[in-house]
Amino acid sequence: MSKKMSIRDLRKEEVMWPGNPACQGCGGSIIGRLIFKALGRNSARVEVASCAPGFMNIRVPSFFGPAFEGAAAFMTGLARGYKIIGREDIVVAGLIGDGGTADIGFQGLSGAAERNENVFWFTYDNEAYMNTGGQRSSATPEFASTSTTPVAKMSRGKTSEKKNVPMILALHHVPYVATASVAYPEDLTAKIVYGKELRGFRYMHINSPCPTGWGTDPKDTIKIARLAVESGLWPLYEILDGRHFKLTYKPRELKPVSETLKIQGRFRHLKDEEIASIQKATTENWSRLLAIDGKDIF
Amino acid sequence: MIEIRFHGRGGQGAVTAVKILASAIHLEGKFTQAIPMYGTERRGAPVVAFCRIDDKRIRERDLVHEPDIVVVLDPLLNRSVDVTEGLKAGGLVIVNYPGNIKDTGLAGNFKVAAVDATKIALDVIGRPITNTAILGAFAKVTGLVKLESLAEAVNGELPSRIIASNVETMKRAYEATTAPANASGFRKTDVVKRASTQPLISYSRVVSDWRISHPVIDKNACVGCKRCWVYCPETAISLVDGKAEINYDYCKGCGICNEECLVGAIKMEREEV
Repeated sequence: MSKKMSIRDLRKEEVMWPGNPACQGCGGSIIGRLIFKALGRNSARVEVASCAPGFMNIRVPSFFGPAFEGAAAFMTGLARGYKIIGREDIVVAGLIGDGGTADIGFQGLSGAAERNENVFWFTYDNEAYMNTGGQRSSATPEFASTSTTPVAKMSRGKTSEKKNVPMILALHHVPYVATASVAYPEDLTAKIVYGKELRGFRYMHINSPCPTGWGTDPKDTIKIARLAVESGLWPLYEILDGRHFKLTYKPRELKPVSETLKIQGRFRHLKDEEIASIQKATTENWSRLLAIDGKDIF
Repeated sequence: MIEIRFHGRGGQGAVTAVKILASAIHLEGKFTQAIPMYGTERRGAPVVAFCRIDDKRIRERDLVHEPDIVVVLDPLLNRSVDVTEGLKAGGLVIVNYPGNIKDTGLAGNFKVAAVDATKIALDVIGRPITNTAILGAFAKVTGLVKLESLAEAVNGELPSRIIASNVETMKRAYEATTAPANASGFRKTDVVKRASTQPLISYSRVVSDWRISHPVIDKNACVGCKRCWVYCPETAISLVDGKAEINYDYCKGCGICNEECLVGAIKMEREEV
Protein backbone atom coordinates (compact mmCIF):
# COMPACT_ATOMS: atom_id res chain seq x y z
CA MET A 1 0.00 0.00 0.00
CA SER A 2 1.21 3.49 -0.80
CA LYS A 3 2.38 5.69 2.10
CA LYS A 4 0.79 9.08 2.70
CA MET A 5 2.74 12.08 1.41
CA SER A 6 2.28 15.84 1.49
CA ILE A 7 2.84 18.49 -1.14
CA ARG A 8 6.06 19.44 0.65
CA ASP A 9 7.57 16.06 -0.22
CA LEU A 10 7.33 16.64 -3.98
CA ARG A 11 10.63 16.88 -5.81
CA LYS A 12 11.76 20.42 -6.64
CA GLU A 13 13.49 19.49 -9.89
CA GLU A 14 11.36 20.39 -12.91
CA VAL A 15 10.94 17.89 -15.71
CA MET A 16 9.24 20.22 -18.14
CA TRP A 17 10.30 23.23 -20.15
CA PRO A 18 7.99 26.13 -19.50
CA GLY A 19 6.07 27.79 -22.33
CA ASN A 20 4.23 24.80 -23.76
CA PRO A 21 1.55 25.37 -26.39
CA ALA A 22 -1.19 23.43 -24.56
CA CYS A 23 -4.51 25.16 -23.82
CA GLN A 24 -4.90 27.47 -20.85
CA GLY A 25 -5.58 25.48 -17.68
CA CYS A 26 -4.55 22.11 -19.16
CA GLY A 27 -5.01 19.28 -16.66
CA GLY A 28 -2.85 16.91 -18.72
CA SER A 29 0.20 19.20 -18.46
CA ILE A 30 0.02 19.11 -14.66
CA ILE A 31 -0.26 15.33 -14.72
CA GLY A 32 2.70 14.86 -17.07
CA ARG A 33 4.80 17.07 -14.83
CA LEU A 34 3.73 15.28 -11.63
CA ILE A 35 4.29 11.79 -13.05
CA PHE A 36 7.84 12.36 -14.23
CA LYS A 37 8.69 14.42 -11.15
CA ALA A 38 7.81 11.32 -9.13
CA LEU A 39 9.44 8.76 -11.44
CA GLY A 40 12.71 10.64 -11.77
CA ARG A 41 15.40 10.26 -14.41
CA ASN A 42 15.72 6.51 -14.16
CA SER A 43 12.87 5.85 -16.54
CA ALA A 44 11.88 5.87 -20.20
CA ARG A 45 8.84 7.73 -21.53
CA VAL A 46 6.53 6.24 -24.16
CA GLU A 47 3.76 8.40 -25.61
CA VAL A 48 1.40 7.69 -28.47
CA ALA A 49 -0.70 10.18 -30.44
CA SER A 50 -2.32 12.51 -27.91
CA CYS A 51 -1.77 16.00 -26.57
CA ALA A 52 1.15 14.70 -24.52
CA PRO A 53 3.97 14.29 -27.08
CA GLY A 54 3.17 17.48 -28.94
CA PHE A 55 2.21 19.90 -26.24
CA MET A 56 3.60 19.05 -22.86
CA ASN A 57 7.29 19.96 -23.33
CA ILE A 58 8.43 17.19 -21.01
CA ARG A 59 12.21 17.26 -20.86
CA VAL A 60 13.24 14.14 -18.98
CA PRO A 61 13.19 11.18 -19.32
CA SER A 62 13.88 10.48 -22.98
CA PHE A 63 10.95 10.03 -25.30
CA PHE A 64 9.78 7.22 -27.58
CA GLY A 65 6.77 7.60 -29.86
CA PRO A 66 5.34 4.39 -31.33
CA ALA A 67 2.18 4.02 -33.42
CA PHE A 68 -1.16 4.72 -31.74
CA GLU A 69 -2.18 1.08 -31.27
CA GLY A 70 1.36 -0.09 -30.52
CA ALA A 71 2.08 1.46 -27.12
CA ALA A 72 1.90 -1.78 -25.15
CA ALA A 73 3.88 -3.77 -27.72
CA PHE A 74 6.57 -1.09 -27.85
CA MET A 75 6.78 -0.89 -24.07
CA THR A 76 7.04 -4.68 -23.91
CA GLY A 77 10.01 -4.53 -26.27
CA LEU A 78 11.70 -1.79 -24.27
CA ALA A 79 11.18 -3.61 -20.97
CA ARG A 80 12.53 -6.91 -22.33
CA GLY A 81 15.50 -5.10 -23.83
CA TYR A 82 16.32 -3.52 -20.48
CA LYS A 83 15.96 -6.96 -18.86
CA ILE A 84 18.52 -8.44 -21.25
CA ILE A 85 21.07 -5.77 -20.39
CA GLY A 86 20.30 -6.24 -16.71
CA ARG A 87 18.63 -2.91 -16.10
CA GLU A 88 15.25 -3.93 -14.76
CA ASP A 89 15.38 -0.95 -12.40
CA ILE A 90 14.56 1.39 -15.30
CA VAL A 91 10.84 2.19 -15.24
CA VAL A 92 9.29 1.94 -18.69
CA ALA A 93 6.52 4.50 -18.31
CA GLY A 94 3.76 5.06 -20.84
CA LEU A 95 1.88 8.35 -20.74
CA ILE A 96 -1.13 7.41 -22.83
CA GLY A 97 -4.47 9.13 -23.37
CA ASP A 98 -7.85 7.55 -22.75
CA GLY A 99 -8.26 6.76 -26.47
CA GLY A 100 -4.90 4.99 -26.61
CA THR A 101 -5.89 3.03 -23.50
CA ALA A 102 -9.58 2.22 -23.70
CA ASP A 103 -10.12 2.02 -27.48
CA ILE A 104 -7.19 1.92 -29.84
CA GLY A 105 -4.49 0.47 -27.61
CA PHE A 106 -6.75 -1.83 -25.63
CA GLN A 107 -5.83 -5.20 -27.16
CA GLY A 108 -2.13 -4.50 -26.64
CA LEU A 109 -2.74 -3.22 -23.12
CA SER A 110 -4.72 -6.32 -22.18
CA GLY A 111 -2.05 -8.54 -23.73
CA ALA A 112 0.79 -6.83 -21.89
CA ALA A 113 -1.15 -7.04 -18.61
CA GLU A 114 -1.85 -10.72 -19.19
CA ARG A 115 1.87 -11.41 -19.85
CA ASN A 116 2.67 -9.26 -16.77
CA GLU A 117 5.30 -7.21 -18.59
CA ASN A 118 7.53 -4.99 -16.48
CA VAL A 119 5.99 -1.64 -17.45
CA PHE A 120 4.12 1.21 -15.73
CA TRP A 121 1.14 2.44 -17.74
CA PHE A 122 -0.31 5.89 -17.00
CA THR A 123 -3.61 6.89 -18.53
CA TYR A 124 -4.45 10.55 -18.36
CA ASP A 125 -8.16 10.47 -18.94
CA ASN A 126 -9.80 13.57 -20.37
CA GLU A 127 -12.77 11.45 -21.40
CA ALA A 128 -12.69 11.99 -25.19
CA TYR A 129 -10.28 12.42 -28.12
CA MET A 130 -9.49 15.99 -27.11
CA ASN A 131 -6.42 16.36 -29.35
CA THR A 132 -8.52 16.04 -32.51
CA GLY A 133 -11.54 18.08 -31.48
CA GLY A 134 -13.34 16.12 -28.77
CA GLN A 135 -14.74 12.95 -30.37
CA ARG A 136 -16.25 10.44 -27.96
CA SER A 137 -14.12 7.57 -26.71
CA SER A 138 -15.21 4.60 -24.66
CA ALA A 139 -13.95 6.50 -21.59
CA THR A 140 -16.52 9.25 -22.17
CA PRO A 141 -19.16 9.21 -19.40
CA GLU A 142 -22.84 8.77 -20.09
CA PHE A 143 -24.82 11.85 -21.26
CA ALA A 144 -21.65 13.81 -22.12
CA SER A 145 -21.95 15.98 -25.19
CA THR A 146 -19.00 15.52 -27.56
CA SER A 147 -18.49 16.40 -31.20
CA THR A 148 -19.62 12.94 -32.28
CA THR A 149 -22.41 12.64 -29.69
CA PRO A 150 -23.82 16.19 -29.85
CA VAL A 151 -26.97 17.13 -28.01
CA ALA A 152 -29.88 17.60 -30.41
CA LYS A 153 -33.58 16.84 -30.71
CA MET A 154 -33.14 13.08 -30.69
CA SER A 155 -29.83 12.86 -28.82
CA ARG A 156 -28.98 13.37 -25.14
CA GLY A 157 -25.24 12.96 -25.53
CA LYS A 158 -23.39 9.67 -25.18
CA THR A 159 -25.77 6.77 -24.64
CA SER A 160 -23.50 4.19 -23.04
CA GLU A 161 -21.64 4.19 -19.75
CA LYS A 162 -17.92 4.84 -19.26
CA LYS A 163 -15.68 1.81 -19.66
CA ASN A 164 -14.20 0.98 -16.25
CA VAL A 165 -10.63 0.28 -17.34
CA PRO A 166 -8.94 0.12 -13.88
CA MET A 167 -11.33 -2.65 -12.78
CA ILE A 168 -10.81 -4.53 -16.05
CA LEU A 169 -7.06 -4.33 -15.52
CA ALA A 170 -7.47 -5.47 -11.90
CA LEU A 171 -9.17 -8.61 -13.21
CA HIS A 172 -5.92 -9.40 -15.07
CA HIS A 173 -4.44 -9.83 -11.55
CA VAL A 174 -1.55 -7.45 -12.24
CA PRO A 175 0.64 -6.33 -9.30
CA TYR A 176 -0.69 -2.79 -9.07
CA VAL A 177 -3.72 -0.86 -10.29
CA ALA A 178 -4.57 2.61 -9.01
CA THR A 179 -6.73 5.60 -9.79
CA ALA A 180 -5.62 9.16 -9.12
CA SER A 181 -6.74 12.70 -9.71
CA VAL A 182 -4.91 15.87 -10.70
CA ALA A 183 -6.49 17.61 -7.71
CA TYR A 184 -4.67 15.27 -5.28
CA PRO A 185 -1.00 15.52 -6.32
CA GLU A 186 0.27 14.12 -3.01
CA ASP A 187 -1.89 11.00 -3.42
CA LEU A 188 -0.82 10.63 -7.06
CA THR A 189 2.86 10.95 -6.19
CA ALA A 190 2.60 8.53 -3.27
CA LYS A 191 1.07 5.89 -5.57
CA ILE A 192 3.78 6.37 -8.19
CA VAL A 193 6.55 6.23 -5.59
CA TYR A 194 5.10 2.95 -4.31
CA GLY A 195 4.40 1.55 -7.78
CA LYS A 196 7.81 2.26 -9.26
CA GLU A 197 9.50 -0.07 -6.79
CA LEU A 198 7.31 -2.99 -7.85
CA ARG A 199 8.07 -5.31 -10.77
CA GLY A 200 5.49 -6.38 -13.32
CA PHE A 201 2.58 -4.64 -14.94
CA ARG A 202 1.43 -1.50 -13.12
CA TYR A 203 -1.48 0.66 -14.19
CA MET A 204 -2.66 4.10 -13.09
CA HIS A 205 -5.77 5.90 -14.30
CA ILE A 206 -5.73 9.67 -13.75
CA ASN A 207 -8.59 12.12 -14.07
CA SER A 208 -7.51 15.05 -16.23
CA PRO A 209 -10.04 17.83 -16.84
CA CYS A 210 -9.82 19.47 -20.27
CA PRO A 211 -11.18 23.04 -20.25
CA THR A 212 -11.56 23.16 -24.04
CA GLY A 213 -13.28 19.84 -24.44
CA TRP A 214 -15.38 19.93 -21.29
CA GLY A 215 -16.54 23.50 -21.83
CA THR A 216 -15.24 24.81 -18.51
CA ASP A 217 -13.43 27.92 -17.39
CA PRO A 218 -9.64 27.26 -17.38
CA LYS A 219 -9.41 28.38 -13.74
CA ASP A 220 -11.79 25.60 -12.65
CA THR A 221 -9.59 22.67 -13.79
CA ILE A 222 -8.52 21.64 -10.27
CA LYS A 223 -11.87 22.49 -8.73
CA ILE A 224 -13.73 20.16 -11.12
CA ALA A 225 -11.28 17.32 -10.51
CA ARG A 226 -11.62 17.79 -6.73
CA LEU A 227 -15.42 17.90 -6.89
CA ALA A 228 -15.42 14.70 -8.97
CA VAL A 229 -13.50 12.93 -6.20
CA GLU A 230 -15.56 14.44 -3.39
CA SER A 231 -18.83 13.51 -5.07
CA GLY A 232 -17.79 9.90 -5.66
CA LEU A 233 -17.72 10.21 -9.45
CA TRP A 234 -13.98 9.52 -9.43
CA PRO A 235 -13.10 7.28 -6.46
CA LEU A 236 -9.42 7.15 -5.53
CA TYR A 237 -8.30 3.59 -4.82
CA GLU A 238 -5.56 1.08 -5.37
CA ILE A 239 -5.70 -2.65 -5.99
CA LEU A 240 -2.74 -4.89 -5.18
CA ASP A 241 -2.23 -8.16 -7.05
CA GLY A 242 -5.76 -7.77 -8.41
CA ARG A 243 -7.10 -8.75 -4.99
CA HIS A 244 -6.45 -6.34 -2.12
CA PHE A 245 -8.67 -3.30 -2.59
CA LYS A 246 -8.18 -0.05 -0.68
CA LEU A 247 -9.79 3.36 -0.98
CA THR A 248 -7.07 5.96 -0.50
CA TYR A 249 -9.39 8.89 0.00
CA LYS A 250 -12.74 8.66 1.72
CA PRO A 251 -14.75 11.88 1.91
CA ARG A 252 -16.78 11.97 5.14
CA GLU A 253 -19.89 12.76 3.18
CA LEU A 254 -20.32 12.66 -0.59
CA LYS A 255 -21.14 15.95 -2.26
CA PRO A 256 -24.00 15.96 -4.76
CA VAL A 257 -22.81 15.20 -8.31
CA SER A 258 -24.78 18.18 -9.62
CA GLU A 259 -22.11 20.52 -8.19
CA THR A 260 -19.45 19.24 -10.56
CA LEU A 261 -21.78 18.50 -13.50
CA LYS A 262 -23.35 21.96 -13.53
CA ILE A 263 -20.10 23.82 -14.20
CA GLN A 264 -19.22 21.68 -17.22
CA GLY A 265 -20.47 22.72 -20.65
CA ARG A 266 -20.70 19.12 -21.85
CA PHE A 267 -23.32 18.38 -19.15
CA ARG A 268 -25.21 21.67 -19.37
CA HIS A 269 -28.18 20.06 -21.13
CA LEU A 270 -28.84 17.56 -18.33
CA LYS A 271 -32.38 17.40 -16.98
CA ASP A 272 -33.08 16.81 -13.31
CA GLU A 273 -33.99 13.15 -13.83
CA GLU A 274 -30.75 12.55 -15.74
CA ILE A 275 -28.73 14.11 -12.91
CA ALA A 276 -30.74 11.93 -10.51
CA SER A 277 -29.85 8.80 -12.47
CA ILE A 278 -26.13 9.73 -12.43
CA GLN A 279 -26.44 10.45 -8.69
CA LYS A 280 -28.07 7.07 -8.08
CA ALA A 281 -25.43 5.17 -10.05
CA THR A 282 -22.64 7.07 -8.29
CA THR A 283 -24.03 6.47 -4.79
CA GLU A 284 -24.55 2.77 -5.50
CA ASN A 285 -21.03 2.44 -6.88
CA TRP A 286 -19.62 4.23 -3.85
CA SER A 287 -21.42 1.99 -1.37
CA ARG A 288 -20.17 -1.06 -3.30
CA LEU A 289 -16.61 0.26 -3.04
CA LEU A 290 -17.03 1.06 0.66
CA ALA A 291 -18.19 -2.51 1.26
CA ILE A 292 -15.03 -4.02 -0.25
CA ASP A 293 -12.64 -1.40 1.15
CA GLY A 294 -9.65 -3.04 2.84
CA LYS A 295 -10.80 -6.53 1.88
CA ASP A 296 -9.84 -9.12 -0.69
CA ILE A 297 -11.97 -9.02 -3.78
CA PHE A 298 -12.60 -11.40 -6.72
CA MET B 1 -15.45 40.93 -54.66
CA ILE B 2 -14.60 41.84 -51.09
CA GLU B 3 -12.21 39.60 -49.21
CA ILE B 4 -11.98 39.63 -45.43
CA ARG B 5 -9.51 38.04 -43.04
CA PHE B 6 -10.26 37.46 -39.36
CA HIS B 7 -7.41 37.22 -36.87
CA GLY B 8 -8.17 35.86 -33.43
CA ARG B 9 -7.08 33.47 -30.76
CA GLY B 10 -8.40 29.97 -30.26
CA GLY B 11 -11.51 30.31 -28.08
CA GLN B 12 -12.48 33.82 -29.21
CA GLY B 13 -14.65 32.45 -31.97
CA ALA B 14 -13.01 33.71 -35.18
CA VAL B 15 -14.32 30.69 -37.09
CA THR B 16 -17.83 31.15 -35.69
CA ALA B 17 -17.60 34.85 -36.59
CA VAL B 18 -17.00 34.14 -40.29
CA LYS B 19 -19.81 31.59 -40.26
CA ILE B 20 -22.25 34.11 -38.77
CA LEU B 21 -21.10 36.82 -41.18
CA ALA B 22 -21.45 34.54 -44.20
CA SER B 23 -24.95 33.39 -43.14
CA ALA B 24 -26.03 36.99 -42.61
CA ILE B 25 -24.81 38.02 -46.04
CA HIS B 26 -26.46 34.98 -47.57
CA LEU B 27 -29.73 36.05 -45.93
CA GLU B 28 -29.39 39.38 -47.71
CA GLY B 29 -29.26 37.57 -51.03
CA LYS B 30 -25.55 37.93 -51.85
CA PHE B 31 -22.97 35.25 -52.55
CA THR B 32 -20.46 34.48 -49.83
CA GLN B 33 -17.89 32.02 -48.49
CA ALA B 34 -16.72 31.25 -44.97
CA ILE B 35 -13.31 29.55 -44.82
CA PRO B 36 -11.95 28.34 -41.49
CA MET B 37 -8.26 27.53 -41.41
CA TYR B 38 -7.66 24.47 -39.31
CA GLY B 39 -4.33 23.60 -37.83
CA THR B 40 -3.22 22.52 -34.40
CA GLU B 41 -4.93 25.48 -32.75
CA ARG B 42 -5.19 25.42 -28.99
CA ARG B 43 -7.24 27.75 -26.85
CA GLY B 44 -5.22 30.99 -26.82
CA ALA B 45 -3.06 30.35 -29.90
CA PRO B 46 -3.33 32.72 -32.91
CA VAL B 47 -5.84 31.57 -35.57
CA VAL B 48 -7.15 32.98 -38.87
CA ALA B 49 -10.40 32.59 -40.79
CA PHE B 50 -11.54 34.07 -44.09
CA CYS B 51 -14.71 35.37 -45.74
CA ARG B 52 -15.55 36.43 -49.30
CA ILE B 53 -18.52 38.56 -50.37
CA ASP B 54 -19.73 39.18 -53.93
CA ASP B 55 -22.88 39.93 -55.91
CA LYS B 56 -22.19 37.08 -58.32
CA ARG B 57 -21.11 33.48 -57.82
CA ILE B 58 -17.61 33.16 -56.30
CA ARG B 59 -15.29 30.81 -58.17
CA GLU B 60 -12.19 31.18 -55.97
CA ARG B 61 -11.59 28.39 -53.51
CA ASP B 62 -8.21 29.26 -52.04
CA LEU B 63 -7.33 31.12 -48.86
CA VAL B 64 -7.42 34.91 -48.80
CA HIS B 65 -3.94 36.33 -49.32
CA GLU B 66 -4.72 39.98 -50.17
CA PRO B 67 -7.70 41.02 -48.06
CA ASP B 68 -9.68 44.25 -48.41
CA ILE B 69 -10.66 44.17 -44.76
CA VAL B 70 -8.83 42.72 -41.76
CA VAL B 71 -10.69 42.07 -38.51
CA VAL B 72 -8.63 41.57 -35.34
CA LEU B 73 -10.38 39.98 -32.37
CA ASP B 74 -7.59 40.40 -29.84
CA PRO B 75 -5.88 43.65 -28.76
CA LEU B 76 -2.44 42.11 -28.26
CA LEU B 77 -2.34 39.96 -31.37
CA ASN B 78 -0.49 42.47 -33.57
CA ARG B 79 2.58 42.11 -31.39
CA SER B 80 3.20 38.54 -32.45
CA VAL B 81 1.37 38.27 -35.81
CA ASP B 82 1.64 40.66 -38.76
CA VAL B 83 -2.10 41.23 -39.10
CA THR B 84 -1.88 43.71 -41.99
CA GLU B 85 0.17 41.37 -44.17
CA GLY B 86 -1.09 41.55 -47.77
CA LEU B 87 -3.74 44.16 -46.94
CA LYS B 88 -4.68 46.14 -50.05
CA ALA B 89 -3.75 49.84 -50.15
CA GLY B 90 -6.57 51.93 -48.76
CA GLY B 91 -7.97 48.89 -46.98
CA LEU B 92 -9.60 48.76 -43.60
CA VAL B 93 -8.62 47.23 -40.25
CA ILE B 94 -11.23 46.73 -37.53
CA VAL B 95 -9.47 46.03 -34.28
CA ASN B 96 -10.56 45.13 -30.76
CA TYR B 97 -8.72 47.83 -28.79
CA PRO B 98 -9.71 49.64 -25.58
CA GLY B 99 -7.54 52.75 -25.75
CA ASN B 100 -6.90 55.63 -28.13
CA ILE B 101 -7.16 54.65 -31.78
CA LYS B 102 -3.71 56.17 -32.44
CA ASP B 103 -2.05 53.65 -30.11
CA THR B 104 -3.23 50.41 -31.70
CA GLY B 105 0.25 49.87 -33.10
CA LEU B 106 -1.08 49.57 -36.64
CA ALA B 107 0.21 52.08 -39.17
CA GLY B 108 0.26 52.25 -42.94
CA ASN B 109 -1.81 53.12 -45.96
CA PHE B 110 -5.15 51.99 -44.58
CA LYS B 111 -7.92 53.00 -42.21
CA VAL B 112 -8.34 51.77 -38.65
CA ALA B 113 -11.54 51.48 -36.64
CA ALA B 114 -11.51 50.35 -33.02
CA VAL B 115 -13.96 48.99 -30.44
CA ASP B 116 -13.38 47.66 -26.92
CA ALA B 117 -14.92 44.29 -27.73
CA THR B 118 -13.38 42.47 -24.76
CA LYS B 119 -15.02 44.85 -22.27
CA ILE B 120 -18.41 44.66 -24.01
CA ALA B 121 -18.22 40.85 -24.15
CA LEU B 122 -17.22 40.62 -20.47
CA ASP B 123 -20.05 43.00 -19.49
CA VAL B 124 -22.81 41.29 -21.45
CA ILE B 125 -21.79 37.64 -21.98
CA GLY B 126 -19.50 37.36 -18.98
CA ARG B 127 -16.74 35.64 -20.96
CA PRO B 128 -14.05 37.25 -23.16
CA ILE B 129 -15.47 35.81 -26.40
CA THR B 130 -15.27 38.78 -28.72
CA ASN B 131 -16.59 37.46 -32.03
CA THR B 132 -20.15 38.83 -31.96
CA ALA B 133 -19.01 42.19 -30.59
CA ILE B 134 -16.53 42.64 -33.40
CA LEU B 135 -19.25 41.70 -35.93
CA GLY B 136 -21.39 44.56 -34.59
CA ALA B 137 -18.46 46.88 -35.19
CA PHE B 138 -17.99 45.36 -38.65
CA ALA B 139 -21.62 46.14 -39.57
CA LYS B 140 -21.26 49.74 -38.41
CA VAL B 141 -17.94 50.52 -40.10
CA THR B 142 -18.31 48.71 -43.41
CA GLY B 143 -22.06 48.83 -43.99
CA LEU B 144 -21.71 45.54 -45.89
CA VAL B 145 -24.25 43.79 -43.69
CA LYS B 146 -27.24 44.89 -41.66
CA LEU B 147 -27.34 44.39 -37.89
CA GLU B 148 -30.75 42.71 -38.24
CA SER B 149 -29.45 40.05 -40.61
CA LEU B 150 -26.49 39.39 -38.28
CA ALA B 151 -28.94 38.93 -35.41
CA GLU B 152 -30.93 36.49 -37.55
CA ALA B 153 -27.78 34.60 -38.53
CA VAL B 154 -26.78 34.23 -34.86
CA ASN B 155 -29.96 32.19 -34.40
CA GLY B 156 -28.68 29.47 -36.67
CA GLU B 157 -25.08 29.39 -35.49
CA LEU B 158 -25.17 29.65 -31.68
CA PRO B 159 -26.99 27.63 -29.02
CA SER B 160 -30.32 29.15 -28.04
CA ARG B 161 -29.41 30.09 -24.46
CA ILE B 162 -26.68 32.57 -25.50
CA ILE B 163 -28.43 34.17 -28.48
CA ALA B 164 -30.01 37.08 -26.58
CA SER B 165 -26.73 38.08 -24.90
CA ASN B 166 -24.81 37.87 -28.17
CA VAL B 167 -27.33 40.02 -30.03
CA GLU B 168 -27.12 42.54 -27.20
CA THR B 169 -23.30 42.44 -27.48
CA MET B 170 -23.56 43.18 -31.21
CA LYS B 171 -25.84 46.15 -30.61
CA ARG B 172 -23.59 47.63 -27.94
CA ALA B 173 -20.51 47.22 -30.11
CA TYR B 174 -22.39 48.75 -33.04
CA GLU B 175 -23.05 51.85 -30.97
CA ALA B 176 -19.60 52.03 -29.40
CA THR B 177 -17.52 51.77 -32.56
CA THR B 178 -15.62 54.88 -33.61
CA ALA B 179 -15.43 56.11 -37.21
CA PRO B 180 -12.39 54.76 -39.09
CA ALA B 181 -9.31 56.97 -39.05
CA ASN B 182 -6.47 57.09 -41.53
CA ALA B 183 -3.53 55.16 -40.08
CA SER B 184 -0.70 56.58 -42.14
CA GLY B 185 0.65 58.81 -39.35
CA PHE B 186 0.23 56.44 -36.43
CA ARG B 187 2.96 54.85 -34.36
CA LYS B 188 3.74 51.32 -35.47
CA THR B 189 4.45 48.40 -33.14
CA ASP B 190 6.99 46.00 -34.55
CA VAL B 191 6.01 42.39 -34.81
CA VAL B 192 8.36 40.53 -32.53
CA LYS B 193 8.63 36.77 -32.57
CA ARG B 194 10.21 36.42 -29.14
CA ALA B 195 12.43 33.46 -28.61
CA SER B 196 12.33 31.54 -25.36
CA THR B 197 15.14 32.15 -22.92
CA GLN B 198 15.17 28.47 -21.97
CA PRO B 199 17.24 26.06 -24.07
CA LEU B 200 14.91 25.28 -26.92
CA ILE B 201 13.15 22.09 -27.66
CA SER B 202 10.67 22.12 -30.48
CA TYR B 203 7.75 23.76 -28.71
CA SER B 204 9.19 26.00 -26.00
CA ARG B 205 7.94 29.51 -26.61
CA VAL B 206 6.91 32.74 -24.95
CA VAL B 207 3.17 32.55 -24.35
CA SER B 208 2.68 35.80 -22.41
CA ASP B 209 0.39 37.32 -25.07
CA TRP B 210 -2.16 34.51 -24.79
CA ARG B 211 -3.70 35.91 -21.63
CA ILE B 212 -6.26 38.60 -20.92
CA SER B 213 -5.45 38.81 -17.22
CA HIS B 214 -2.40 37.90 -15.18
CA PRO B 215 -1.89 36.80 -11.57
CA VAL B 216 -0.15 39.12 -9.12
CA ILE B 217 1.32 37.65 -5.93
CA ASP B 218 1.18 39.54 -2.66
CA LYS B 219 4.53 38.44 -1.17
CA ASN B 220 3.51 39.46 2.35
CA ALA B 221 0.39 37.34 2.30
CA CYS B 222 2.09 34.31 0.67
CA VAL B 223 2.69 31.52 3.21
CA GLY B 224 4.74 29.33 0.86
CA CYS B 225 2.28 26.42 0.82
CA LYS B 226 3.41 25.44 -2.71
CA ARG B 227 -0.12 24.86 -3.98
CA CYS B 228 0.16 27.30 -6.89
CA TRP B 229 3.55 25.81 -7.77
CA VAL B 230 2.10 22.30 -7.92
CA TYR B 231 -1.01 23.19 -9.85
CA CYS B 232 0.56 25.54 -12.43
CA PRO B 233 0.17 23.81 -15.82
CA GLU B 234 2.90 25.94 -17.39
CA THR B 235 5.70 25.45 -14.84
CA ALA B 236 5.68 29.27 -14.71
CA ILE B 237 5.73 29.46 -10.92
CA SER B 238 8.92 28.83 -8.99
CA LEU B 239 9.74 29.09 -5.31
CA VAL B 240 12.22 31.77 -4.32
CA ASP B 241 13.06 31.90 -0.59
CA GLY B 242 9.97 29.83 0.11
CA LYS B 243 7.63 32.24 -1.66
CA ALA B 244 5.97 31.83 -5.02
CA GLU B 245 7.28 33.82 -7.94
CA ILE B 246 5.80 33.96 -11.44
CA ASN B 247 7.72 34.02 -14.70
CA TYR B 248 5.32 36.11 -16.77
CA ASP B 249 6.87 35.02 -20.08
CA TYR B 250 5.32 31.59 -19.59
CA CYS B 251 2.03 32.47 -17.88
CA LYS B 252 -1.07 31.98 -20.00
CA GLY B 253 -3.33 33.56 -17.39
CA CYS B 254 -5.51 30.51 -16.78
CA GLY B 255 -6.19 31.61 -13.18
CA ILE B 256 -5.74 28.22 -11.48
CA CYS B 257 -3.24 29.71 -8.98
CA ASN B 258 -5.74 32.42 -8.03
CA GLU B 259 -8.47 29.80 -7.61
CA GLU B 260 -6.33 27.40 -5.56
CA CYS B 261 -4.52 29.88 -3.28
CA LEU B 262 -5.77 29.20 0.26
CA VAL B 263 -4.82 32.59 1.74
CA GLY B 264 -5.93 34.80 -1.14
CA ALA B 265 -2.41 36.05 -1.85
CA ILE B 266 -2.91 35.90 -5.62
CA LYS B 267 -5.10 38.37 -7.48
CA MET B 268 -5.92 38.41 -11.19
CA GLU B 269 -5.47 41.75 -12.95
CA ARG B 270 -6.63 42.59 -16.43
CA GLU B 271 -3.71 42.74 -18.88
CA GLU B 272 -2.65 46.27 -19.83
CA VAL B 273 -2.82 46.91 -23.55
